[in-house]
Amino acid sequence: MQIFSKLRHLVESAIVPLMFIAVLLSSCEKEVVATFDVNDVDVLDQNLIKTRLKSDKQFTSILYTTLYKRAISVDKLVQTERVIQSFGDKGLIHEIIVSNYMNSGEVELPSDSFMRADPDSFITATYRKFYVRLPSELEKSFFRNYIEANPNVTTELVYTAFAASDEYQFY
Amino acid sequence: MSEKNSKLKRRDFVKKAAAFTAGSIAMPYILPSGRLFARTNADMADHVVYVLFAGGVRQQEAVLQQYLAGSQDVNIEGNIMYNMLEGAAPDRKIVYGTTPDGQPVGSQPIPKLLNQTFQQMGTIFPEVQAVNGGHYGGLNSLITGNRATGQGLKRRPRYPSIFEYLRRHRGFKATDCWFVGNTIMNSVPLLNSSNHPDYGTQYGANFVAPSITFGGDGYATLANAKVYHPQEELEPIYRMKAFLDNTFRVRNGEIDGIRNTEEEKINIKEFVRDIFNRGSVPGPPVSDNGDLRNIRYAAQVMKWFKPKITVVNLSNVDGCHSNFSGYLRSLHRADHGMAWLWNYIQTQIPEMAGKTIMIATPECGRNERPNPIQDENDWYAYDHSGDYNTSRVWTTMVGPNVPSNLMVGAEDNRVGKATDNVLTIAEIFGVKNDVQSAGMVDAGSASLFDRI
Repeated sequence: MQIFSKLRHLVESAIVPLMFIAVLLSSCEKEVVATFDVNDVDVLDQNLIKTRLKSDKQFTSILYTTLYKRAISVDKLVQTERVIQSFGDKGLIHEIIVSNYMNSGEVELPSDSFMRADPDSFITATYRKFYVRLPSELEKSFFRNYIEANPNVTTELVYTAFAASDEYQFY
Repeated sequence: MSEKNSKLKRRDFVKKAAAFTAGSIAMPYILPSGRLFARTNADMADHVVYVLFAGGVRQQEAVLQQYLAGSQDVNIEGNIMYNMLEGAAPDRKIVYGTTPDGQPVGSQPIPKLLNQTFQQMGTIFPEVQAVNGGHYGGLNSLITGNRATGQGLKRRPRYPSIFEYLRRHRGFKATDCWFVGNTIMNSVPLLNSSNHPDYGTQYGANFVAPSITFGGDGYATLANAKVYHPQEELEPIYRMKAFLDNTFRVRNGEIDGIRNTEEEKINIKEFVRDIFNRGSVPGPPVSDNGDLRNIRYAAQVMKWFKPKITVVNLSNVDGCHSNFSGYLRSLHRADHGMAWLWNYIQTQIPEMAGKTIMIATPECGRNERPNPIQDENDWYAYDHSGDYNTSRVWTTMVGPNVPSNLMVGAEDNRVGKATDNVLTIAEIFGVKNDVQSAGMVDAGSASLFDRI
């Protein structure tokens, strides 16, 4: 009986140190030095896929900021949203709203002379501004040729076409 | 040239002209759907004005002319829709008119506008079945001819509207079809088109809610719009837009709302500009509620576009949920507005005068029993929660090829359904068979001309 008791005491007293040693052994790993970095990604892709239609609120808010370079007030946002809802042809009412903004005299437009002097830069900047992407060569080519062939085309007309386009209604 | 030779040539000309005329009448043409449309007979009218006399109208105060006797346990009967219906107006407790200075509210009835009532000029179905007791469901049934079971709010109609049938099967343009809504609430702006895969917004009508578009919000947002020169400015805009749209393909229905052609857009822009420039537009002698203001702009839409079909929505009578006296005033004004609109078409729009059929039906009735709410006259209000009385409405129809002074059915002999109107309009424009073949109009519906 006494022998058993001593054995038991011996085992119990050995368990704790053994466990401690086991934990120490298992936790000892060679330190890995990790270096994190960011890959370069072109965020202004030519093929940016836009699948979600902007709500009336989003459209108005983004349009206003794009043209005026400042945020629209809540009152004006709600007012414009209601007007859009009051009309069946959304594209048409967008056009009228854009032309209303254009007539305000507060829209920040690039000059026509800048557009004609450097159409490529103007086209690229316009695509980035409205579509948040870069133009393809085809797109650049079309606008370059169109602007050059039509002396009556102004930056205002180009902006209006972009603001009224289907792609501008998506994000 | 000899006389004989001259006669021969004239005869030859007449023959050729006759042949050409006959050919042009029978000449099939390609519809937007790609099918050939061969006219079999002439339209019954060139234009339809379809008034959704909505908001929920009790038969008792309308065609039954019971005034207070059918609702308030006050034994005074009379007709407060005396432009539409034959019958003497109430002679006591007048609350439905205007309010002269110092006089009791509504004590001055609005003078009658028409020499002949709609009842005398046309056909009335005094007891018609409404198939849906809710506003949006009821409006859906009037527009689609379908029962609208399971139709959700904030969703376009599940079944094609009369606009889509007409545009697809009859080839009407977008600006031939207008829905003049009295509000942008309650999903009303969605009624210009269904989202049905075979029809949908590509065949929808133009929608406008004048109280917003031409009200304060619209003025602040649209009135300062530039008027671009059609050739020098608009053409380049649309040319560039067309290129941009071609490089970004949108599937049909992805962008909600209908689309007009470039020519139609220019026309609509000129219309909007014209309304703002004029500042005010003619309207009914009394224009003191939303329905009447909506009617005045509906008249301008008609005057400008001469649409094939114009739907005008009313709803002020729905105030009956809490104010019975107000309901009587709205009912009286709806009659006044319809009469003014009819008169305006006949006298101010020569292209539509004598060539327009006007149809009107409430989308639903109201309960037989009142709710506990009392108004300033201690009269009880009425809801529309689906009892038999809610399913009781009427239809009136007036214009060319509509029999005059005819009443079809009676209080104890129900003839017609609210869903009949879609087939009726389809028949007026010669596409009844196409609409029936599509198989989406409620079973048991028929053209009202077939019920006469």
